[in-house]
Amino acid sequence: MQIRDAKDFWSGVMFAGFGVFFVVFARQYDMGTAARMGPAFFPTMLGGLLLLLGAVVAIRGLTAQTKDGRVDRFHFKPLAFVLGAVVAFGLLLRPGGLLVSLAALVMISSFGSDEFRLRDVLLLTVFLAVLVMIVFIYGLGMTVPVLPVFLRD
Amino acid sequence: MDLIDNLALGFSTALTFANLAYAFAGVLIGTLIGVLPGIGPIATLAMLLPMTYSLEPTSALIMLAGIYYGAQYGGSTTAILVNLPGESSSVVTCIDGYQMARRGRAGAALATAALGSFFAGTVGTLILAALALPMVELAFKFGPAEYFSLMVLGLIGAVVLASGSLVKAIAMIVLGLLLGLVGTDVNSGVARFNFDVPELADGIGFVSVAMGVFGFAEIIANLEHKGQRQVFTDKVGKLLPNRKEFMDAWPAVLRGTALGSVLGVLPGGGALLAAFAAYTVEKKVTRNPDPPFGQGNIRGVAAPESANNAGAQTSFIPMLTLGIPPNAVMALMVGAMTIHNIQPGPQVMTSNPSLFWGLIASMWIGNLMLVVLNLPLIGIWVQLLKVPYRLLYPAILVFCCIGVYSINNNSFDVLMTAAFGALGYLFYKLRCEPAPLILGFILGPMMEENLRRAMLLSRGDPTVFFTRPLSLTLLLMAAALVVIVALPQISRTREEAFHEVD
Repeated sequence: MQIRDAKDFWSGVMFAGFGVFFVVFARQYDMGTAARMGPAFFPTMLGGLLLLLGAVVAIRGLTAQTKDGRVDRFHFKPLAFVLGAVVAFGLLLRPGGLLVSLAALVMISSFGSDEFRLRDVLLLTVFLAVLVMIVFIYGLGMTVPVLPVFLRD
Repeated sequence: MDLIDNLALGFSTALTFANLAYAFAGVLIGTLIGVLPGIGPIATLAMLLPMTYSLEPTSALIMLAGIYYGAQYGGSTTAILVNLPGESSSVVTCIDGYQMARRGRAGAALATAALGSFFAGTVGTLILAALALPMVELAFKFGPAEYFSLMVLGLIGAVVLASGSLVKAIAMIVLGLLLGLVGTDVNSGVARFNFDVPELADGIGFVSVAMGVFGFAEIIANLEHKGQRQVFTDKVGKLLPNRKEFMDAWPAVLRGTALGSVLGVLPGGGALLAAFAAYTVEKKVTRNPDPPFGQGNIRGVAAPESANNAGAQTSFIPMLTLGIPPNAVMALMVGAMTIHNIQPGPQVMTSNPSLFWGLIASMWIGNLMLVVLNLPLIGIWVQLLKVPYRLLYPAILVFCCIGVYSINNNSFDVLMTAAFGALGYLFYKLRCEPAPLILGFILGPMMEENLRRAMLLSRGDPTVFFTRPLSLTLLLMAAALVVIVALPQISRTREEAFHEVD
């Protein structure tokens, strides 16, 4: 069978997948009764509903008449650099301190753009570091390590 | 009179120096971020939410409300000057606003949008203040069954009036409800779906979901469509509309305000729907438009801009009085209130009157600031539009990441936000609108709680939802909405209404 509207088809698959996920993992909790619902009751209900809705969406994706059903190309470059930069920030913040993790965030995320210019990125990093120090550390009194572990007292 | 007393209390709260300053800061920062193309009020609010955590609740909400209309107005500025809607509710403003800008009337378009918004905001705030008391009284008649049915109606209303596929939008709501259930179950104390991650015991952070799905996903999507921005910076032109423009604009402002005020209260309504409807109405009622719509008719700016601001104002009514957010923006406000340990609902007005009325008064003040701030500062916003995106988005990311971290001083939240960014990008690629998801996410725990209570009271008899008249009415309304939208001719009109501008 041919997939007519791939966007809908894959959306349906995604919804159904989430539905199954919640139904399956709700099984380890207590269902309870209709009058005294346990922790599994509502998630199981909703998960079942989501599975059903996902199936409807996916089937419509198989049968729909549409010209524009293709899923647009995924641009993995911005996706990887932007989210990679965020992950790096999260992982570096405690051990590396705010300045190191901020530099990592700005530099890595800048690679996600097609117009990367090293000089601008360095200037931007310095500018943002100063701004963040003034606003968050001195201004709002945020408690976060600023320097890397080995430089702290 | 009660209303006068209440408003007096509100103004005495809102007019303290600190709260004025927070309202001002909110409007200013909201506009600043809202002007950036591709970042709408939802993303702006999600990004700036953490900034308000350290404030006391009243100031925090005042600032957030300021951010909201600042962002909304900033979006209109971008729509007019760059033909890029900063947010979905200014999509229609693009059509005629940008054409006005091309003919050198950008200034008049911007001023009309600002003044129309201010007028609509004033009316909207008055309606909100007047309706608040009766609504709260009605709300106290609600039992758990009614609340559950009301949430069903709200959620259905939200998808019916949203654009795109109906089934997909409902599925997004259900997914949101499920994600909202992650964490400790209040009744049994069981930690659900947390996979032994201690950070998930309190549930998925609401800011992580909102910022990831809206903020990060939008940034990635913006990086795909690089480039063709054309800013009409040099010829903003005179600010004041000329006589003909003024005569054309004011009836449109009145119609837009009336329509927006009504649509804002409806579940799923609010700014977006109001703007679309107002534009359609203007096209219908205007005979022999000169210039034609789509070529720079000032009514096409005045009506949707007034409508979206009136709608933005009145959509606070169900949120503040019933605790039910009618759209994603209000869902964020509910999230913000919960973080400050205020359970939104009818009791807020009685238990926390200065917060309630202070917020309402500050809305009007915020709208006034918007006019005072934006007209003289348009030059600055224009300059901001010239900053290349490759420098803007790393800066936005920095503030987002620090913001998310600062909520719980926890790096896990930052990683979680990245995960939701990836999910949001997938939604974007599959054309699944994320707004219903956030609405469901907020309502998930509330819905479960009310369902459980209603079923407990009825000893497990599910017919309770149909035998209580108020609850039945609400459910019938929800069913009617679905049936109406599913009718072939209506669904065709609905498609057209949303695609007219593409």
